Amino acid sequence: MNKPRQYELITEFVMHNKDNFYRLAYSYVLSPEDALDIVQDAIHKAIKSDTLKDETAIKSWFYKIVVHTALDFLRRRKRVTVASDAELEFRDTGHEDHYRNLDLEKALNELPTDYRSVVVLRYFEDLKIEEVAEMLGLNVNTAKTRLYKALKLLRVEMEEVQIEEAP
Amino acid sequence: MENKKVRNMDELKREYTSIPIPAELDQVVQSALESGRQADSGNASFSTQTGGAAVSDAGMRIESHSQTGSRPVSRPRSRSRARRSWAIGVAAVAIFVAGLNTSPAFARTLSEVPVLGNLVDVLTVREYKADKGHYEADIKVPAVGNLGDSSLEHSLNEKYLAEGQKLYDTFMAEMKAQQAIGEDGHFSVDSGVVIKTETDELLSVGRYVEETAASAATTIKYDTVDKKNHVLLTLPSLFKDDRYIDVISENIKAQMKQQMAEDSNKIFWPEPTEDIPDGFTQIAKDQNFYINSSNQLVISFDEYEVAPGYMGVVEFVIPTEKLSSFLSSQEYLK
Repeated sequence: MNKPRQYELITEFVMHNKDNFYRLAYSYVLSPEDALDIVQDAIHKAIKSDTLKDETAIKSWFYKIVVHTALDFLRRRKRVTVASDAELEFRDTGHEDHYRNLDLEKALNELPTDYRSVVVLRYFEDLKIEEVAEMLGLNVNTAKTRLYKALKLLRVEMEEVQIEEAP
Repeated sequence: MENKKVRNMDELKREYTSIPIPAELDQVVQSALESGRQADSGNASFSTQTGGAAVSDAGMRIESHSQTGSRPVSRPRSRSRARRSWAIGVAAVAIFVAGLNTSPAFARTLSEVPVLGNLVDVLTVREYKADKGHYEADIKVPAVGNLGDSSLEHSLNEKYLAEGQKLYDTFMAEMKAQQAIGEDGHFSVDSGVVIKTETDELLSVGRYVEETAASAATTIKYDTVDKKNHVLLTLPSLFKDDRYIDVISENIKAQMKQQMAEDSNKIFWPEPTEDIPDGFTQIAKDQNFYINSSNQLVISFDEYEVAPGYMGVVEFVIPTEKLSSFLSSQEYLK
C-alpha cells in the first residue's frame, strides 16, 4: 500500500476510534497524561510503519500497536520509578477525588498486565477471543485460559469491594 | 452467583466506557497525525517488508466498509504487493508449499523417514523444516501405503497433506503477524506422527501438533484403519446407535473424578462451572479416538479441552464391558 493511502486510512480510522484507543491506553497506565502520550506515540508508530498491507486489517493492526505501545511504556516506567507507599496512597486519594470509576481502577490494578489485556480487549472493547489472541501473539487456548484466570481474580477482587462497601 | 459475576462485568464495562475523555485528546490526535506525516515524509519510498497481509490472513474484519470504499484502486495493488514481499521473504518455505499444492511427486524429494521396521511399507513420513531465527517449524506429514485400497490411501494422504498445509499456513501467518508489528517474536510449530496400534487387523495413526508461542498447546488427531477390510473406522460406525455418546461421557466423568480423588496433582474439568464454563459435558459424536493393541477404545482430548494445560493431551481407556451391549460389531473392541 502506498504511503499517502496508508496515511489517509490511518487518519480516518484514528479519528473515528480515538476514544477507544484513549480508553484502551488508559486501562494500562491509569493516568490521563500518560494515556494521551501513548495515543500520540501509537499514531506516530502507525504512520511510520510499513506493515499495513491489507486495509481490512487496520482495526487489529492499530489495536495491536496501541497495546504494544502501552506495554512498552509500562516496562520503561517500571525501570525508572520506584514510588513510595505514601506517594501511592496520595495518588490514590487524588484519583478518588477526580474519577468515579474507582473500582474499575482497583480491579485493573489487581490484574497482571497479561490478564488485563485479555479482559479489556475481550469484554470492554468487545473483540472476539480469536482477535484478542492474534493481537497478543497467543494461541486461542492460552488466551482463553488467561481470560478464565482473570475472571477468577476479578471476582475475588469484586467480592472484596462489596464487603468493604456493605453497611 | 452467576448473575452477580455478570453484573459486575457489566458494571466494569460501564465504568470503562465512562472513563472521561480529556478535552486535549482531539488536539493530541490532530497534531500527532500532522507531525507523524511530516516526520515520515522523508522515507516514504519503497522498502522491502518482511511483514505482510498476515493480520488479514487471521480473518480480521473491518468495522466499517465505508472507510475503505472511497478509493477503489488501491486494493488489488496492495494485494499483489503483499504477495511479492511474501515471496521474497520466505522463498524457501514457499517452494515447499507450492509443491504441496501442485504436485504430489514433489513430496518425494523431501526426506522420507521410515517409521519402525515392520511399518516401512505402511507408513512413511515426509518432513519439512524451517528455522528462521525465532521462528521454527518442523512439520512431519505421514503417508500411508500398502493398505490394499488405493482410494482409502489416497483420501488419507490427501487429508494429511492438507493438515500439513494448514500448519504451514498458520506458521507463516503467525510469523508475519509478529514481524508486522516489529515484534522480535518466538513461535514454533512441531508436528509428528505416532503409531498407537499396529496389528494384523488394525492400524491407529496419530498426528500431533505442538504450537509454542508464549506457551505451548498440543493437539493430536487419530485415524484407525481396518487393514483387512480396508475401512477407515469412525466412532459412530463402532456402535449401533447414538447411545454410546452418553455411556462413554458418563464413564469419562467418573474416571476424571476418580483420578482427581486418587491423585491431588491431577485436575480435570468434569463439568462446566462458573469459572470454567467450557468444562466437559459430553464427547462429540465423532470424538477423537483410537483402538489400542488390547482392542480397547481410547478417547483422546487435546490440551486444554477437558483439563488445564499442564495435564497435556489426556486419554481415557473405556472398558469394553461398559460398551458391549451397544457395539455394532464384536470385531474391533474386545
